[in-house]
Amino acid sequence: MKHAILGAAFAVATATAAFAENYVIMAPAAPGGGWDATARTLQEVMVAEGISGNVQVQNVPGAGGTVGLAQFAASTSGDATQLIVGGYVMVGAILTNASPVSLADVTPIARLTGEAVAIAVPTASELQTINDLVEMMKADPGAVSWAGGSAGGVDHITVGLLAKAAGIDPTKINYVAFSGGGEALAAILGNQVTAGISGVGEFLPQVEAGSMRILAVSTDTRWPGTDAPTLMESGYDVNVQNWRMIAAAPGLSDEQKAAVLADIDTLAKSAGWKSALETKNWADTYLAGADFEAQLAKEIEATTAILKDIGLVQ
Amino acid sequence: MTGQSGTGRRPDGAAFIIAALLAGFGAVLLWDASTIPDRGGYAGIGPAAMPKVVGWGLIVLAAATFLGAFRGRLADVPRQNPVPLILIGGGLVLQIALLNVVGFSLATGILFAATAAAFGKRNLLVTLPIGTALAFGLYGLFDGILRLNLPGGLLETLIYGG
Amino acid sequence: MSTFDFLLQGLGTAMQPMILMYALIGVTLGTAVGVLPGIGPALTVALLLPVTYGLDPAGSLIMFAGIYYGGMYGGSTTSILLNTPGESASIVTALEGNRMAKAGRGGPALATAAVGSFVAGLLATLALAFLAPHIVKLALVFGPREYFALMMLAFVTVAAAFGESTLKGLTSLFIGLGLATIGIDGLTGQARMSFGVPQLLDGIEVTTLAVAMFALGECLFVAAQTHGLHDKVEAIKGSVKMTAADWRRSWPAWLRGSAIGFPIGAMPAGGADIASFLSYGTEKRMSKHPDEFGHGAIEGVAGPEAANNAAAAGTLVPLLTLGLPTTATAAIMLAGFQQFGLQPGPLLFATAPQLVWGLIASLLIANVMLLILNLPLIRFWVMLLRIPRPWLYAGILMFATLGTIGVNPSPVELTMLLIFGFLGYGLRLYGYPIAPVVVGLILGPMAEQQLRRALAIAQGDWTTLVSTPLSASLLAIAALALVVPMLLRLRGKGQVLAQIAGDSD
Repeated sequence: MKHAILGAAFAVATATAAFAENYVIMAPAAPGGGWDATARTLQEVMVAEGISGNVQVQNVPGAGGTVGLAQFAASTSGDATQLIVGGYVMVGAILTNASPVSLADVTPIARLTGEAVAIAVPTASELQTINDLVEMMKADPGAVSWAGGSAGGVDHITVGLLAKAAGIDPTKINYVAFSGGGEALAAILGNQVTAGISGVGEFLPQVEAGSMRILAVSTDTRWPGTDAPTLMESGYDVNVQNWRMIAAAPGLSDEQKAAVLADIDTLAKSAGWKSALETKNWADTYLAGADFEAQLAKEIEATTAILKDIGLVQ
Repeated sequence: MTGQSGTGRRPDGAAFIIAALLAGFGAVLLWDASTIPDRGGYAGIGPAAMPKVVGWGLIVLAAATFLGAFRGRLADVPRQNPVPLILIGGGLVLQIALLNVVGFSLATGILFAATAAAFGKRNLLVTLPIGTALAFGLYGLFDGILRLNLPGGLLETLIYGG
Repeated sequence: MSTFDFLLQGLGTAMQPMILMYALIGVTLGTAVGVLPGIGPALTVALLLPVTYGLDPAGSLIMFAGIYYGGMYGGSTTSILLNTPGESASIVTALEGNRMAKAGRGGPALATAAVGSFVAGLLATLALAFLAPHIVKLALVFGPREYFALMMLAFVTVAAAFGESTLKGLTSLFIGLGLATIGIDGLTGQARMSFGVPQLLDGIEVTTLAVAMFALGECLFVAAQTHGLHDKVEAIKGSVKMTAADWRRSWPAWLRGSAIGFPIGAMPAGGADIASFLSYGTEKRMSKHPDEFGHGAIEGVAGPEAANNAAAAGTLVPLLTLGLPTTATAAIMLAGFQQFGLQPGPLLFATAPQLVWGLIASLLIANVMLLILNLPLIRFWVMLLRIPRPWLYAGILMFATLGTIGVNPSPVELTMLLIFGFLGYGLRLYGYPIAPVVVGLILGPMAEQQLRRALAIAQGDWTTLVSTPLSASLLAIAALALVVPMLLRLRGKGQVLAQIAGDSD
């Protein structure tokens, strides 16, 4: 494989002289999605900011990123020029697909951006607060239909966590999974379901237009652009962020890892990256190194627990 | 699309084989569905329902094909030349096997030459270089200019620099 | 009238010579990449999008519009001439179009596709400009139960593509439905028919199946009839231009196709493929020459091709008014808009009128440009068929695998291409129609998921399926469309149908 040959060549080159690394970034998704966009934005900014001379993006789609992750973990060990984009969705997909490869098989570097999950209803709905919605669920969980993204994904997990936090049996939630591309949004706007759950960015334009009301957001702090309360301040112990990250190959030496970390740190603090985040409407939730690893470990544990509770993981 | 009938013997045997394959496919669907925990949830019908319906449907269609075979009216199949099929199939297998070893251009050049041979152009000294050169040009266009990531090998790395 | 003023203003901007130049470049690039066999519009747009980076917003917008329409049209060219559709919406075009090409009428088939695309693009873009806010309200009325009813209607119309034998057509359809169950179940996340292979979890890519069954299957089928080098080459004779009869038969189909395509494309779960299926079924039902279907009926090219393009403009309705990308192509377009700082959503028409109207004007210009570019090119495209077979088919396979490798360079994906190619060959050999397999793969999961969604929302109450007038009437139409021809056939073994067709001629 070209990349392996190149990688080897550059490993030799960088051992003798310290000059801008050439990276290959794997987007474990098809062109057009969020991970692909992240990888391609990284590509542009890394080259423009002089962090790397040449960056290639490689798409390996499949199964919530786990196909790409497995290929990445198997083929890149010790090669510091290889990076992979990932996200919270991967945490869930690894569990629900019973993937033999997990995030422990790569070297997580940093969380780059993230988004709150928002719970919303159409403007015409009688439900005014998140408490109204939870009361309705307590009375008859089946009567509250939720439209959201794929089964076992971040939206589903958030509803499960909310139910659990409110003392409702998470297996009783009536979660209706819609395929991506905003089908769920159409179902909410068309009054087909009781409530909807999705990335806050998808709802905000509808809120501005007055066709939808956000009841709560899932992060620990309020989200810019909406005055909706967090689930935590409404009394439910739920904190979810749908983040995207960058990870490096497994089996790196401490020096190699530090070098990648330094490059990513330069990137995350560069003007080019900040302006790219702004154009794409991505929030800066940068968290790197040991802090990120600790946070990741906590989330994997919580996600495993809730997916078992919902019944998606045995 | 629908069969071009020509002259030839009536493939009654073929109908039995097709019926068996259909029934086999249906059986696999039913077997797989039986291993799925059928969580219907509030819908009442779960993930196993559709495979079951399709599986039984295929078995019914297999039975109909089987019965139809006795009346010998499946299709008139023109005489088939197996050599081109082997050549094209082999070319594809080689391409799959060699893609990540020798790179896109050479692997695809082999497929090109194999296909040309299947259609009668057997001179590999002509077809293989032409195919490889064409694929190499495509690699430059798609991987280099349009940034579609194609697997590169030694050839691509040497000339395009990766 | 402000809408009209905005449109004129947009057209004014778009008529500058430099901008027209960009439009021409966009259309040419789009057509050139889109015409490669096995490479569909989504991949074309994704590949060429970066070309538009770095231009000023007006220039890149129009080049983008050109690429979009060029890619759409380019795809149908090879579907017609070489029977190698690169995406699901061109399958139906290939059905009749390739028959026409084989009968030496490739020129008129391409012409009716080009003019039909133009007419549909024009009508649909105008509808987008003036009706978008109203259409989108209508589209939102469609919930899971209505979509399920619509899928049922689409299933029935597929029967039109069954060919001579209902048994064989149904068999093909069920093979497609069976293949559709492979992968993760959308509603529960349960893996089905995956046998522990992670690459199977996402199911079978429609593009892979279509390219394998059509391009590779066709190639194998033709190759297996080759007995030695001196094989007779199909003579491409006849006029390149459409005859008066062609025009007379095409224009109602163009209009019907546009009328079907635009609203279906505008629905969040609609799509160009379903629009083209419905259009094909309609044309076959309304044609005065139903016997020609399956042997190269020009309406069968004109209608679906118009529907396909009108639906493509229709997908811009939810994209621009709701910010909903409903197809892969639309998702890539959304990324394209974002580079212009255009945030599609309900307020877009209010907050960024210049850009929206600029885009709509660009689409109109690109549409005209496409016609100007492609009508003279037809002569050139038809010459593709004069390429000696060894080179032609070797080239087709090269491009078909390039498309697959470019999207997903996994050996599993290529192996699927190989297996389905031979499946396509086998089906052709024994006279099984190919299109229903692909249709089953597309419609199967949609129908299943919408049904289960509708039932989940209604907590298992099946009467929900007929609880709105819209879903009830769609289901009733589907039932009638299924039962009436059966009754007629039972009464006279098809003679009645033939007679009706004969009478109205």
